[in-house]
Amino acid sequence: MKTLRRRTKVAAIGFMLAMPGVIAAPNVEAAQTIYNTSMPSVMRVAIRENNASGEPDPRGRIIYVQAVPFVTYCEDVLPNEWFPSWRPEALKAGAMAVKMFAWYHHLHPVTIDGFTFDVDNTTNFQHFQDLSSQPTTNAAFAAIQNVAYTRPNGEIIELNYSAGYQNDPNWQYRNAQKMAQWGTEYWAERGQNYVQILQFYYQNRALMKLQS
Amino acid sequence: MKRFPSARSVLLACAAAGVIAMAIPVDDSSSSNHHAQSLRGAVATMGQIQDTVANNNATGNRTPVAPAKPRPNQAVPTPPRTNPVQPGTNNSAKPPGTSTPQQSNPSGTATPAPGNQPPAAGQATPAGPESWGYTRKTSKLRIHVIDGRTKQPLEGAEVVVIETEQRFRTDKNGDTPWFDAPIFRNPKYRPMVAELHGQLGVIAYKNGYRDSIHLGIRMHENIRQEATVWMYKIGPGDRRIEPVLYQEPYHHLWLIQLADKFRQQSQIGEGPERP
Repeated sequence: MKTLRRRTKVAAIGFMLAMPGVIAAPNVEAAQTIYNTSMPSVMRVAIRENNASGEPDPRGRIIYVQAVPFVTYCEDVLPNEWFPSWRPEALKAGAMAVKMFAWYHHLHPVTIDGFTFDVDNTTNFQHFQDLSSQPTTNAAFAAIQNVAYTRPNGEIIELNYSAGYQNDPNWQYRNAQKMAQWGTEYWAERGQNYVQILQFYYQNRALMKLQS
Repeated sequence: MKRFPSARSVLLACAAAGVIAMAIPVDDSSSSNHHAQSLRGAVATMGQIQDTVANNNATGNRTPVAPAKPRPNQAVPTPPRTNPVQPGTNNSAKPPGTSTPQQSNPSGTATPAPGNQPPAAGQATPAGPESWGYTRKTSKLRIHVIDGRTKQPLEGAEVVVIETEQRFRTDKNGDTPWFDAPIFRNPKYRPMVAELHGQLGVIAYKNGYRDSIHLGIRMHENIRQEATVWMYKIGPGDRRIEPVLYQEPYHHLWLIQLADKFRQQSQIGEGPERP
């Protein structure tokens, strides 16, 4: 009888010790939303060394980290990722993707080779070229400045995008939850506005008005 | 032994060759090659564009230009296409502070009208096929000149558009006026992949600074565009003072298309563009 009690005690103690490993502690980390974070004021842009042709090399060494105002960063990315001659609604959809991509990575900085930064200036993140903004792309960015495209609870997520194919709706990009750059122009040409374009490529997202 | 060719066959061949040679027309005006004819006035036509743009850049309006004809009499004096800039006396480069960059667009904001629209009314047919680079398409452009180290705007820099020889001066904000700049698409890529933007080159001059050559400015139809030229001050330690080149690359969306266009199934490399 004593032996049975002892075994029961040992089993109970062992069970209590094993509990933390079996039942994980609840994740108390709060989601980063538009309600508990503000729009970044500055982006830390890692400048990578150029290749022999004078173009930033996505695998080149990081030379330095440049602090760029957030709005300036977005304006200097958009004409290098979208064509400035595209329709305004396509540019607005692109501006939203560029902005939310940058915002997400500002909240998730990385450290490589001793440099801590949000993004670099190559297509590893977004193609940034200093002082390359254009009037049409600036207007598109200004048009979406007070809104954000997030999860319905306001959580900031990365809006990913890629080139896609010309004159094609690029359904496969919708399946991958990425926006096709050529697809934005395709839909804008057919009268879709930028919210409709975003809704086509990103599901379970919402357009949120930013608190001033 | 009978030798071949015989003297008679050689004579006959010579006579036939003479007849054929006489049958070749020598007067190209009666030729039926209209395509070659249409190219004869091409250079003169481009010269006409330069004159017109240079004379109208103050208002930003272009007048319709009739197709130029080959000059019948070279002895007739013609005004030079572009005049060298003399401070205060030129009509194309403006003195600082007098430029009115917003004159043609009082709101100062871009009025994009993207899409493949037909050329504006009054634009005549180019002298050659567009696929060969002959174009009358223009778009508004403004050049912004800055000090490459301080990034401050440079006033009084002279900016020359290489293709049209237009000359402008920057104002206190480092900007040239808005001007009509041609949209040249590289004809060698035209048969392969429709080029998505034209390219233009400018040179910036300023006393005390290295000359800056900026090539490959992206030009699109129907929108306003800006380009920034970086200039570098000449210091006491500078030897071999030579121009600084900045080559603007092709847009990477175009490069993706170009690589996809010629990819073989047996050598796919990174593979086609995919999500």
